Amino acid sequence: MIIFDGVTKRYPGGTVAVSDLTLEVPTGEISVLVGPSGCGKTTSLRMINRMVEPTAGRVLLDGRDVREIDPPTLRRGIGYVIQHGGLFPHRRVLDNIATVPYLLGWDRRRARRRARELMERVGLDDELADRYPFQLSGGQQQRVGVARALAADPPVLLMDEPFSAVDPVVRAGLQDELLRLQAELRKTIVFVTHDIDEAIKLGDRVAVLREGGRLAQYATPAELLAAPADDFVRAFLGRDRGIRLLSFLPAAGLPLRRDLVVAEGEAAPDGAEWVVEVDADRRPLGWRPAGKRSGSRAGSTAGNGRLAGYGAYRADRDSLRAALDAALLSPCGAAIALDEQDRVAGVVTREVLDEALARAAADAHGDAVPAARRPGGGAG
Amino acid sequence: MRPDEPLIRWDWIGRNRSMIWELLVDNTVMGLLPVLFGLLLALPIGLACVRWRVLYQPAAGLLNVVYALPSLALFIVLIPVTGLAERATVIIPLTCYALAVLVPAVVDGLRSVPDHVRQAAEAMGFTPLRRLVQVELPIAVPVVIGGMRVATVSSISLVSVGALIGRGGLGGLFVTGWQLRFPTPIIVGVVLVVLLAVAADGLLVLAGRLLTPWARARARAEAAASGEAA
Repeated sequence: MIIFDGVTKRYPGGTVAVSDLTLEVPTGEISVLVGPSGCGKTTSLRMINRMVEPTAGRVLLDGRDVREIDPPTLRRGIGYVIQHGGLFPHRRVLDNIATVPYLLGWDRRRARRRARELMERVGLDDELADRYPFQLSGGQQQRVGVARALAADPPVLLMDEPFSAVDPVVRAGLQDELLRLQAELRKTIVFVTHDIDEAIKLGDRVAVLREGGRLAQYATPAELLAAPADDFVRAFLGRDRGIRLLSFLPAAGLPLRRDLVVAEGEAAPDGAEWVVEVDADRRPLGWRPAGKRSGSRAGSTAGNGRLAGYGAYRADRDSLRAALDAALLSPCGAAIALDEQDRVAGVVTREVLDEALARAAADAHGDAVPAARRPGGGAG
Repeated sequence: MRPDEPLIRWDWIGRNRSMIWELLVDNTVMGLLPVLFGLLLALPIGLACVRWRVLYQPAAGLLNVVYALPSLALFIVLIPVTGLAERATVIIPLTCYALAVLVPAVVDGLRSVPDHVRQAAEAMGFTPLRRLVQVELPIAVPVVIGGMRVATVSSISLVSVGALIGRGGLGGLFVTGWQLRFPTPIIVGVVLVVLLAVAADGLLVLAGRLLTPWARARARAEAAASGEAA
């Protein structure tokens, strides 16, 4: 656990970068520091590994004031990923990754073997081991940066806008990769970004900082979206807070209609307006108006124009947001739920979705308007 | 000069081979040692100038003044100290000239280390000394070598001025040729000085390539990138 205890950083000119910051970063979680430029987020990060020393207050790492630890020793035990990678241009990829093991005095062979393991772990091709950083793409360089930070298996990882210099598609890939790695490694990660969407996607907890290094709010992403502490946080979160909040509510509990799923050419049940046609493997083909009867042969697909397109979500892992999105892509406003094998599990009707959204809205206002809270009102 | 005198008398070269060889060796030693000494001095001075920025402007100004002093004047000033026709009398002023080229090269080289690389090294837990030796100096090498090439070529060529105080390496041949009204030694001297300078420069380029394969990889990548853009 990392604790900021009343930490202030004031520079000789009088500029206050961080102002009385008190914050607990739980072990094994990703905590994101987010805010506009000049909010002291990088300064705060660098006080953890003593690249910046606080003017007042303490930073505790597992209960110990970091100022009791000699900086090089402290830093070798904390992984660091910097913006633009910070790779050493004169060292090959493998030796870049093995930097901290070399500093710790591991023998060359062991350090390089460890570096190869990490290349595989972060999804870098083995062929790249002997390249120089200039011969890599931006995304590959960032992966090398992450591998280098993990080389000596430090319990703590500091990441300073690590993905901000790559294009959005690569960035999304790197973010997913980080979440996958974190699910395996359970490091204590402090992540700095100016991108609130990145913060909400990656953070178990998000600290929103404002100019002058004052903490505006420290909460889980769902809490942040549901109940921003003030106008600054609300403005910083931006538009579509309600919709984005749905990303944190699982769609797993939604009741499914199985009677609306029919085989090719099979009649629709009484009273149904639309049905989902599936193939022999129960994979979705498309929506069919109940009145029409598709006298189809084997091999017919939605592409021939008789079936309307559809949206689908995975009932086992997707959020309410994905279910709503799937519903909006269907002609009848209902969503197709898929199981683990991407077979149709059932249909979520508009009425069911309506009810789930109403419940989500009530829960989001639960703290503000207790009267609106339903008895035992959970989302599922 | 006699009108019937040919430009080159090959028999003179043959007869004076050992003397020419000695002068060549002398010129090489007096040309290269100042660059070596200059580099050894430029490293700490350059490091200090990077560490304490205020030092750099005064230091660079002073070195420029030294660079502007005529070499002959410096040789003459040193004669009472180091003696007439001594190697040291030539080497010391040339070391000052090398320094004037190499200090800015070391400073520029160290400043060519990208900030994020320096910060990453700090964050990885390098001690300041280790960071300097393993990260900053290696990255500075291409720029420093560029400065050494200029210093070396000018140093080898400046040695000949020492002939006027009796120790000028191949420059001695110019004096001989002028005194005897005889062009062969002059031409031999000029050709050898140029060949020596070109050879030393070539060796530095080669050393640079061996020391910094990554810089070549970068140059190629950048050339390819600009080729694509065009």
